[in-house]
Amino acid sequence: MPRYQKTVVVTFGGGARDEETFAPEGQENIPHLMKELIPQATFFTQVVNRGILGHYVATASLATGIYERFDNFADVAPENPTVFEYFRKGLGRPVNDTWVIAPSNGFNRIGQSAGGTFAPGFGARVVLPKHLLAAALGKTSTNPSGLEFLLQDNYEDVLFTPPSVQNEIQLSKLTEMLHLSADDFTHHAQTLSSADELSVYVMHHLMRQFAPSLLWITLHDMDVAHTGAYSLYIEGIRRTDRLCAEIWQMIESDPEYKSRTTMLILPDFGRDSDFSPSGNGFQHHRTGDPLSRTTWMMALGPHIRQNRTVDRALDSVDLVPTLGAMMNFPTPLAKGRPILEVL
Amino acid sequence: MIAPGELRAESFARYPPQARSFAVANLPALQRMPLILVALVLRQAIQYDWCFPREQEQLSRQLDLLGRMDAASFDALMAPFSAIQLSAELGGLDWVSEPQQFSEQLTAYLWSQHQIDRYHEAAQEYQQALQKALAEKTVTTPRWTIVTVGQGIPQTELPLFRRLLPHGTLFTNVDPSDGLEVLLAEIGSRAQQYPLEYGHWYIEGGESHAGSKGVQGLTVMSYARLVPAAKREFALLNQFTNRAGGGGKVGVEAVSSYIAGLNPDDLGLKGTSADNVLRHFEVNVLTQGAGCQIYSTTFVQWAARECLHRAQPLTLFARFANRQRSAPMEQLLARDPLQQPQDPEGSLTDADMGAYYTWINQSRLAGADQSRFLVWFEGHGVVCAVSPTLAQGTTSTASATMRQVLDWMR
Repeated sequence: MPRYQKTVVVTFGGGARDEETFAPEGQENIPHLMKELIPQATFFTQVVNRGILGHYVATASLATGIYERFDNFADVAPENPTVFEYFRKGLGRPVNDTWVIAPSNGFNRIGQSAGGTFAPGFGARVVLPKHLLAAALGKTSTNPSGLEFLLQDNYEDVLFTPPSVQNEIQLSKLTEMLHLSADDFTHHAQTLSSADELSVYVMHHLMRQFAPSLLWITLHDMDVAHTGAYSLYIEGIRRTDRLCAEIWQMIESDPEYKSRTTMLILPDFGRDSDFSPSGNGFQHHRTGDPLSRTTWMMALGPHIRQNRTVDRALDSVDLVPTLGAMMNFPTPLAKGRPILEVL
Repeated sequence: MIAPGELRAESFARYPPQARSFAVANLPALQRMPLILVALVLRQAIQYDWCFPREQEQLSRQLDLLGRMDAASFDALMAPFSAIQLSAELGGLDWVSEPQQFSEQLTAYLWSQHQIDRYHEAAQEYQQALQKALAEKTVTTPRWTIVTVGQGIPQTELPLFRRLLPHGTLFTNVDPSDGLEVLLAEIGSRAQQYPLEYGHWYIEGGESHAGSKGVQGLTVMSYARLVPAAKREFALLNQFTNRAGGGGKVGVEAVSSYIAGLNPDDLGLKGTSADNVLRHFEVNVLTQGAGCQIYSTTFVQWAARECLHRAQPLTLFARFANRQRSAPMEQLLARDPLQQPQDPEGSLTDADMGAYYTWINQSRLAGADQSRFLVWFEGHGVVCAVSPTLAQGTTSTASATMRQVLDWMR
């Protein structure tokens, strides 16, 4: 592996089922993944999540390589060291070399584990674009009318008061770091149609400004499925499909990233089967049935074999040791095994 | 707290009258169950006064069976539940008087301990054993479910009923004139022909159709009538979170428990003692169905699911209407969904999936192989009909009336 390679991890913090994505009947919803990305990718058809099927705790498990057990709705950090800590400590990288862009429901604590003994202070910076926009709307002179749709927070339990935000980077600091005014940020937000688009916009700025070597973005729009409106869920999947292609284009058109970046795309888990009696199909992910636990992963990059499909089952916690093996840093406490097909 | 073996008649002092009598009558069976199962049974039993007749019957048959079992068979049936380790904290909860809260804590615990799959396996095994032992009675007449989608939508490019087509016949040239009246007449006729308490339902995504008024034996539920109750629910929740939070945060379990404790009076649902069961059902739909407060399409799908699952009707007519357009959640929770711009195309997609889910839910009931299912793109000539009398996976372009399609399904 080249020394300065970079990795971008795209997770969907809103599960998607095969039926609406890679199964024959779902492929119409993901034209970009099907026609643009898969031909360049190694595609893993089975990634099994054996942990808790809540988006924050599951994403935290992806990031630690251990199935975390905390309450999905609690304002807590992952118990075990995150891949960001392994990366920075193992390679001696500065703070701006790894960033997380996440939806705002609880994810503010995902950059740094709570354990504190392995690599205190080596966590990633976390950006919650929706919180930034909310802050910007309070500061900007622009008429904020009409931007509230980008602030949608938690679909999983709309009546739950979100946890307090303590650790994510603040608006003034970020805009200063990105050379972006609150007005610019808000003006651009007006051209967008969803919160995930806002996240990708922030990601683009981070790439240009800091070119972080390990960048993690969690997309969330499709989790609108919890409202039971199938059309909105499908709309979310289609938007996510387009954004994945845009992210890859951003990578390919940026000299700092082009030809040295591996991109991994994976939903955190699936959603309930239509035929699980205790569930209500696509709406939730509560049954723990095989469909809700099984999803896929796509890997693209200069060292990834193109147009290959791998049907053996991976485990969600294989991600961290794989990132470690790809980028040459140890992940001593992570479970799972490196995925040999991408090394 | 007490162990199941220590249950006494006095343990159920806080239960409503019928629930108390039921629990006391079945005390020996309850005392023998492991905690995890007895709490789940009590979660249903505490609602006994507001259960549909079919639910009461099933609960009684379940406990009769358990009460008659010899020790070896009983222990074997309970073994998977007994094998699941519970924390001392769970055992300390008041699972007798507050089984719903116990259930919420139990679920969180099982997920956190990676025991949820084991629990689901135990529950499935138990359910299968019950089904085998309590072979369902055959229904008096085949069930009929009729769904209409696309109310008021002039045309669409969407390929409708794709998921249902493999199971039935797609008619593409049905005369839509007076289709709704024909279907309502069919529902009314069945309600008269097979009188059964809560056996015939009409669930409407907008205002209930005038043709349904005064139909004897038909249980009617409409989104338009329940919107004020949904708004009241949100107002109460806001009050609760503000009061309980005190500027801090309120746990999701606390919110869930509060919602589960709401009753028809809390939500302003008025009625007579005769329809008390229906009012409680309406509260359950509004408090347990995510999204059905804000989107009428979700309301119809979820209410139909719950109706089929709980009341197990002989006849169900589910009529989808257009839902409001999507918006930020805080706006959706605050505004009147009936007074907003609508999303016809999205509603049709939702309803198409909702129809499929309704068919799946009907298929889970006794007599499924004889059940009939019809879905119609309202106002248009497209009907998909599933019946043992019709071919599967075929399309008919011949002209027909709605009455003829119904006759072919008999």
